[in-house]
Amino acid sequence: MPEVGKIDSKQAILLMVIMVLPTGFLFVAAVTAHLARQDGWISILLATLVALLIAWLAVSLGLRFPGKTLFQFAEVILGRWPGKVVAFLYIWWYIHMNAEVLRQYGSLLVAAFMPETPISVFMLLIMAIAAYAVRNGLEVFSRVNQLILPLILVSVVILNILAAPEMNIKQILPVFEHGAVPVVKGAVMPAAWIGEIITMTVLIPYLNKAKEAYRIAVTATLITGFFMLITQLVDIAIFGPITAAWLFPGLDGVRMIHLANFLERLEPVVMVIWVAGVLVKISVFYWAAALGSAQWLELKDYKPLVLPVGVIIYALSIMAHDSLLDLFAFLGMFWGPYALTLFIVGIPLLLLIVAVIRGQGGSRH
Amino acid sequence: MARFIKPLRSRLLGRRKSSSGKDNSSQDQAVDNAFSNQELQNQDLSADLQANLLHIKEILSDCSDVVYREFDFAQDERIKLAIIYVDGMVDKMQITSQIMRSLMLDAPLVEQGEEFTRARALTLIKKRLLPVQQVEETNNLGKVIDAVLSGDTVLLVDGHACAIINASRGWESRKVEESQTEMVVRGPREAFVETIRVNLSLLRRKIKNPNLKIETMRLGEVTKTDVAVVYIKGIVNDKLVTEVKERLNRIKIDAILETGYIEELIEDNPWSPFCSLNHTERPDRVAAQLLEGRVAILVDGTPYALTAPLLFVESLQTPEDYYQRWPISSATRLLRLFTLILSLLAPSLYVAVITYHHEMLPTALLLSLAAQREVVPFPAFIEAFGMEVAFEILREAGIRLPRQVGQAVSIVGALIIGEAAVRAGLVGAGTVIVVALTGIASFAYCYSASISIRLLRFPLLVLAGTLGLYGVICGVLTILVHLATLRSFGVPFLSPVAPLSAGDLKDVAVRVPWWAMLHRPRLIGMANPQREAGGLKPTPPPAGRKQ
Repeated sequence: MPEVGKIDSKQAILLMVIMVLPTGFLFVAAVTAHLARQDGWISILLATLVALLIAWLAVSLGLRFPGKTLFQFAEVILGRWPGKVVAFLYIWWYIHMNAEVLRQYGSLLVAAFMPETPISVFMLLIMAIAAYAVRNGLEVFSRVNQLILPLILVSVVILNILAAPEMNIKQILPVFEHGAVPVVKGAVMPAAWIGEIITMTVLIPYLNKAKEAYRIAVTATLITGFFMLITQLVDIAIFGPITAAWLFPGLDGVRMIHLANFLERLEPVVMVIWVAGVLVKISVFYWAAALGSAQWLELKDYKPLVLPVGVIIYALSIMAHDSLLDLFAFLGMFWGPYALTLFIVGIPLLLLIVAVIRGQGGSRH
Repeated sequence: MARFIKPLRSRLLGRRKSSSGKDNSSQDQAVDNAFSNQELQNQDLSADLQANLLHIKEILSDCSDVVYREFDFAQDERIKLAIIYVDGMVDKMQITSQIMRSLMLDAPLVEQGEEFTRARALTLIKKRLLPVQQVEETNNLGKVIDAVLSGDTVLLVDGHACAIINASRGWESRKVEESQTEMVVRGPREAFVETIRVNLSLLRRKIKNPNLKIETMRLGEVTKTDVAVVYIKGIVNDKLVTEVKERLNRIKIDAILETGYIEELIEDNPWSPFCSLNHTERPDRVAAQLLEGRVAILVDGTPYALTAPLLFVESLQTPEDYYQRWPISSATRLLRLFTLILSLLAPSLYVAVITYHHEMLPTALLLSLAAQREVVPFPAFIEAFGMEVAFEILREAGIRLPRQVGQAVSIVGALIIGEAAVRAGLVGAGTVIVVALTGIASFAYCYSASISIRLLRFPLLVLAGTLGLYGVICGVLTILVHLATLRSFGVPFLSPVAPLSAGDLKDVAVRVPWWAMLHRPRLIGMANPQREAGGLKPTPPPAGRKQ
């Protein structure tokens, strides 16, 4: 098998959480509020419920084929060539998704912190570190994450507490001002975000205790959903319905913090959270893409593919969008339906149905 | 453990493969031929004393420190004897009074009617006339040479193809003194010395248990240095001992002069700036490590012992943590964690903030810093980098300088680098403060870790000077990823934090009281996890039974 490492359940939960959260903190509030306005938090709740179903879907699928990742069991279910096509689509999806994440990452740093530095510098550095981590395997970035994520979560909670004086919780009223439709529309994007838990289909073979996969997926989804909900509520409480007008409401919320003439200007903390969090997030998708490619090509080791896959991701992220606004329009309008219908729900559901009908794979493991 | 050993086994195998390449094996051969006494091992002594002496003199030709003394046994000209030893490596008193005096003068007194004959001389000497604690009989020439060169006295008897090796080692050695590099306020003060036997006795005195095993081997084709692998059977993981011995047996080198040679030849991460074996000169520290399930490697000729596996958290621990009261130990350990972060990050954060992120500072502080730096002609990066280099020069000079000129250096260092440089406008006072703080902080935790951290400070400074805070964050993340890749004898370097084993956190950032630390570290002491009985928490006597 290309990857020899195994991770324990705690590491898996943390990995699945950081796979979603860092970008969630900064982007989701604006995207959701754009459609659902002050009801964005209901959208997040809705999205979390959907994501729980997705988690169930991913784990049921993964557990049917013990020791096999999505890239491998697609062939078992659909036959060699259709399976190869599906696996290739997923490799593409992971590369594309990673390119988008990388672009968001660079855009935020350029727009909010260092406007005179070319975006390629930021992206190149983080990709280099991610490549180093991915080359050393799943265990390594799981361990890094085990150090980073608790610190991130604690900082987020502290930042939110510090921002409390700026909040006005009445801003979340009125509920359902424009009916339920915008709320549902607003839930599409966060659902696609939290629904990245579908990556469990790649991770399950590398768990110490595969039996705990359900627990892992559900716990991770709930933690993610909870923190997204808190972020959304805090941002709405600070900015009200105009949350959508900010590019990075999470960052601007932190900029509002002024305490005791001393605790102000805490954005560097956001930068630390952002860089550290995105590093692991990128590593996970990067690893999935490299591993998938190796399994697709039936190689013994994925390490030779780390560099080529990284170059593709990097190049794609630079070429994909002309500007920040283009990126946002793409993410807000297109990404949710595209990822959700095709990769997060569509294909896995199809695979599961076919597997059940054909009676492939057992629940034994 | 198997899970952790596996990748490392394969790595070992890989290395072995590469070392069996053509070039290496021919080099090995060369070392073998020149220095191993393979041919001597196969030669036996002859019955003729003069022939033996000639042969040995030939082997040890031009060794002016070897002494040959021929004499008659019990004033009897028929039985010739000879002793051979190395001057300076033997206890002369013992040779004079217990070997020569006994054989030459006292022997006739114990004759008791029996006549000494050449045939019976050897058994008589061995049984009755050598009041030496340890004797050994051999007829192997190689063994004789080894014994002579190790400080034993060899006795040859004419007419017997056999030599008696008398343990008479005794050379000038440093006394057991207070540790010079690992100081404590409370706790034992003794430190290892250069003689391995003394060091092993220091350990045995702390752990009086038959399970304390000491396996010795000789490494170094030329130096033939004694190396001891020490562990406590029943606590240590047997696989670890096998692994350590396997790695030691792979070593083929001319000399082992310090544990550092061994460390670099058996470590897991040869390219990393971080150690994968701990080294210490404190017997109490080694004993504590052994009791947690680690293996120690002691080498003759150095007061430093190696212990493996090493975890990153050990750089925050000192022996004193376990002797002090636990709240104080915990507080100082948190302080040490802070100094570790400070010594890594302080200069680069300073440079990043001064150069790129002025807005992060409170206005008043920014103004005063700007005022100081107004006259400074260099960018903050050059300034801080220069000061860091100056500090490292001072530190290095402080180690090497002869004691007599110590004061000169401290005066020059403190005055010129600090006061005068600021007054001349070469550096800002803020930079001096930051660099000095960093320097002091780097000595507050384990020295071997601080060397690695000090080294990494410089690339971080460069990153801070070029990319600001972003560069620093990226640098730290790279270090973090690197630390996560490291293993020491199969145990992840960052454990028990990552991978997390919650029970072991009792001895990481804080040290909980002894009555709460019931278990050994999970990944190291798993062969025998229970360290103490539960329920030892002291409780006051019931209220009714007041004295």
